[in-house]
Amino acid sequence: MAVRHPLESDALRGSIDLLVLKALSLAPMHGWGIGLRIQQISRGRLEVNQGSLYPALQRLEHRGDIESAWQSTENNRRARYYTITRQGRKALGEEVDKWKRFADTIALVLES
Amino acid sequence: MSLLKGFAARMRSLFASGASEARMEEEFRFHLTMETERLVALGLPADEAKRRAFVAFGGVDQHREAMRDGRGTRLLGDFLSDVRYALRAMRRSPGFALAVAVTLGVGIGVNGIVFGFVNTLLFRPIPARNADELVGVFTVDTKTGTAGLLAYQDFVDFRDRSGAFAGLAGETGVPLNLVGGSDGSSGSADMVWGGMVTENFFSVLGMRPVIGRLFAENDAPRGGNAFAVLSYESWKQRFHGDSSVVGRVVRLNGAEFTITGVAPPGFKGLRTFGFWPEMWIPVGMHNVIMPGSTNLLEQRGDGWIYVVGRMRPGWTMQRTQRAAGLFASQLATSYPATNATVGVTLLPGASGFDHPAFVKPRVLVLASTMGLFASIVTLLIICANLANMQLARAAARTQEIAIRLSLGCSRGRLARQLLAEALVLAIPGAVLATFVVRLGPWLEQFMMPHLQFRVGLGATSDYRVALFTAGVAILAVGLFGLAPALRASRPRLAPTAANVIGARARGARPRSRMRGLLVVMQLAMSVVLLVGGTLFVRSLVVARGMDVGFDPANRLLLSVNVGLQSYDAARGRRFYDEVLTRTRALPGVVTAAWAFPVPFDTYGRGVGFYVAGAQTNAKDGTIGTDASFVSDGFVKALGLRLQEGRELAAGDTAGAPRVMLVSRSLATRLWPGKNPIGQRARQGSASGPEVLVVGVVGDATFQSLGDRSHDRAYLSIRQSYRDWETLVVHTRAEPTSSLPQIRAIISGLDPTLPTFGVMTMEQSVGSGFATSRMAAGIAGFFAGLALLIAAVGLYAVVAGNVHERTREIGVRLALGSTPAGVLRFIMSGGARLATWGLCIGIVCAVGVARLMAGLLYGLSPSDPLTFALAPAVLVAVVVIATYLPARRAVKLDPIAALRSE
Repeated sequence: MAVRHPLESDALRGSIDLLVLKALSLAPMHGWGIGLRIQQISRGRLEVNQGSLYPALQRLEHRGDIESAWQSTENNRRARYYTITRQGRKALGEEVDKWKRFADTIALVLES
Repeated sequence: MSLLKGFAARMRSLFASGASEARMEEEFRFHLTMETERLVALGLPADEAKRRAFVAFGGVDQHREAMRDGRGTRLLGDFLSDVRYALRAMRRSPGFALAVAVTLGVGIGVNGIVFGFVNTLLFRPIPARNADELVGVFTVDTKTGTAGLLAYQDFVDFRDRSGAFAGLAGETGVPLNLVGGSDGSSGSADMVWGGMVTENFFSVLGMRPVIGRLFAENDAPRGGNAFAVLSYESWKQRFHGDSSVVGRVVRLNGAEFTITGVAPPGFKGLRTFGFWPEMWIPVGMHNVIMPGSTNLLEQRGDGWIYVVGRMRPGWTMQRTQRAAGLFASQLATSYPATNATVGVTLLPGASGFDHPAFVKPRVLVLASTMGLFASIVTLLIICANLANMQLARAAARTQEIAIRLSLGCSRGRLARQLLAEALVLAIPGAVLATFVVRLGPWLEQFMMPHLQFRVGLGATSDYRVALFTAGVAILAVGLFGLAPALRASRPRLAPTAANVIGARARGARPRSRMRGLLVVMQLAMSVVLLVGGTLFVRSLVVARGMDVGFDPANRLLLSVNVGLQSYDAARGRRFYDEVLTRTRALPGVVTAAWAFPVPFDTYGRGVGFYVAGAQTNAKDGTIGTDASFVSDGFVKALGLRLQEGRELAAGDTAGAPRVMLVSRSLATRLWPGKNPIGQRARQGSASGPEVLVVGVVGDATFQSLGDRSHDRAYLSIRQSYRDWETLVVHTRAEPTSSLPQIRAIISGLDPTLPTFGVMTMEQSVGSGFATSRMAAGIAGFFAGLALLIAAVGLYAVVAGNVHERTREIGVRLALGSTPAGVLRFIMSGGARLATWGLCIGIVCAVGVARLMAGLLYGLSPSDPLTFALAPAVLVAVVVIATYLPARRAVKLDPIAALRSE
């Protein structure tokens, strides 16, 4: 299995935030689950460096986009569950719009 | 809302970084476990699954760091490492650290001390409730404008009928013969100052006792309220802070009083300038405290009460003044005989309740403002010096800083590091400063004249002083840390490149000239202070060897105040005679006599003489002179020199013709060119009793070595009775060895009579020197401080020079210059500054010494030894301050020096 180096650019950092919010918009989840969900949603095409999720989660929590609390998993393990806040949903909407416009623009440029 | 929550989360993680770490570790662990299990479930062996889980997670440490960064604990961590770095640097150059600590500590501390005095002068904190409502109430003569004190009956009317004040109370100082100070034995008897106060005094001030209770109006009927409230200091010192003191009975002026409580700490009576009362007693007991003062409470017009008023809620000073003035004019109409010209004037309580005629305000306010200004300027110079030194050190690290900047270290980060270094360097100084500030009250005891009773400003370290000192300290650190930090963190990549071509020196010139000027000024100032300090010290040495006109050796002093024991003149004379007879009979005693005041006494007495034909400015035609009231035998007992005529004799009694002795100076003043023996003067006025001069004694120093006048008349206590006298005992051996026998004689005659002011004449003379000793000490201290500051400044300039010219020095060394040559070259720069400083300083010092001439005893203001010594000390310090950095230049490796920068 090839080692994927994390892309620590601002662009990726921003997109991790977006991906996390998107993942959490479906249901509250713990860190590992969020990574897994992103992978599933992207059908394996986007493999986030798993550890770098946590600084992103912390950042989002400080920003007030998500909240967290200890809960038990189905197999009765203690895990930190993250929930998206109303502010988080709003931010997600805005970010998604921005991304779409950006992607459209890029596509426009590339296809012309 | 969630923003708030986010903020809360951030704060939580900042303050509970332990908890955040634990949470982080648990999340990581959970994640890795889950991932491993997932991989195992996919069919991987456990080991391999674990390894892959780790790989997929990425660098654990890296993520940890990222999260710590995100939590903001990074700032703190950085700061701690900066501090560690600074501590290492400090260990490497302990001399520098010491110089910073000492100069900064003393600089900040002196600011605190000076402010402590100013605080007391300007804000005189009285521990009263709503002290800003308090005003001093005085009379003012509506014709002449002269201020005075209220009389008791007027005070009562103002209090009860004027409606101008919410409360009005009064205080006046009284001497008290106190018996039963600490253990009730008569040995603890002492004369102390007390405050006689109106019964409502403490309630108007709104004070709370430390223990017990204070007076109240309805305690007991007047005359039956024999209560005393102790001052906090008296309680602590005289009664050892014993809380069982409440309810104890002490004798005051012969009568029994019960101690009811202790006043709050820091309360030393209303007046800033006055004796500090040891205790307060109600005015209702006035006839016991001041026997014979029957009409004390009956008077109007001219009075004796220092009055404090509490303004009505919401009333301004102006409104209160108008109301009080109106009432004063009503009193003037009602009592024209006494109050026709009595007006009233209010003074803000913050001004200290001193008699308005007292000359405190402008001079002292001016002096304290100047003192504050001077100490702040001193601190600024200290900071400038330290900043210069930091700059010199920073210059040495230019390379390090340039490299760090080019490696992407942020400038803010770099500035923070330098600031942290300044902070670490400043902390020992700030700690030292807190100790220096505490020296304030201790210093004051030397600055105030030594008296038998405590007086003074009582500089207190209240919150204002603490705030001020803290502010000054922060300012100092900011100044001396920020300047180099800002400068050093400026991007210096370009100049560093330019250095290679050696084009830098030009830009540095104006700055180093500025520094040079500063150093010259500092050196000049320290020359002035050195000369001044040396003059004071030398003068003190000379003065101690000077003739005081009497013999202080083997003399014991002991005072009594029989007036406070209600003795009349006849009983007092009998007492004096009996004590003399018995004391002179003691085996260890050469002779004894009564005298008051004695040389170097706390108190003074004057008398006016009318001499036919003598010139005077006084309205009543008399000539004022100092006087002592003495018994027979005083010339021998004091060791004065009888120059002409005879000593007072036992036969010079009340019935015999009045006689006196005069000092040589007084004889010359009253009867110039004539034989003083047999001359007559009238005592008090042209119609006063005639006094015959029977002897002349040599001039003696009675007050201080600076006495301008040695005029003194010695009058007989048998003929001019005084109820307050000092027994002077000339002993054969060590004077205090006779003390128990003398005490026994006195207590044998009157067991309730306290003695006070017990000391040897040598101690008394020694304390007379205390003021000059303090002046010498202060001058010496400031001279040393100035020298230290100047030395640090010079060091910084020379060190900076060495750093800036490292390349040049390298070139010189490489071209064959000898180390001695380089040393000379570097030191000559310092020497030039020192010469300038010395020359300017000497010129100023000559001028200042002239001004000081009046304070120097037996020493010329151009004392050659002083003017040789002070520059010599300065030169020595200059050599050291320049040699240390110059030596570093010599030790440079030429190759390394050339490569530097």
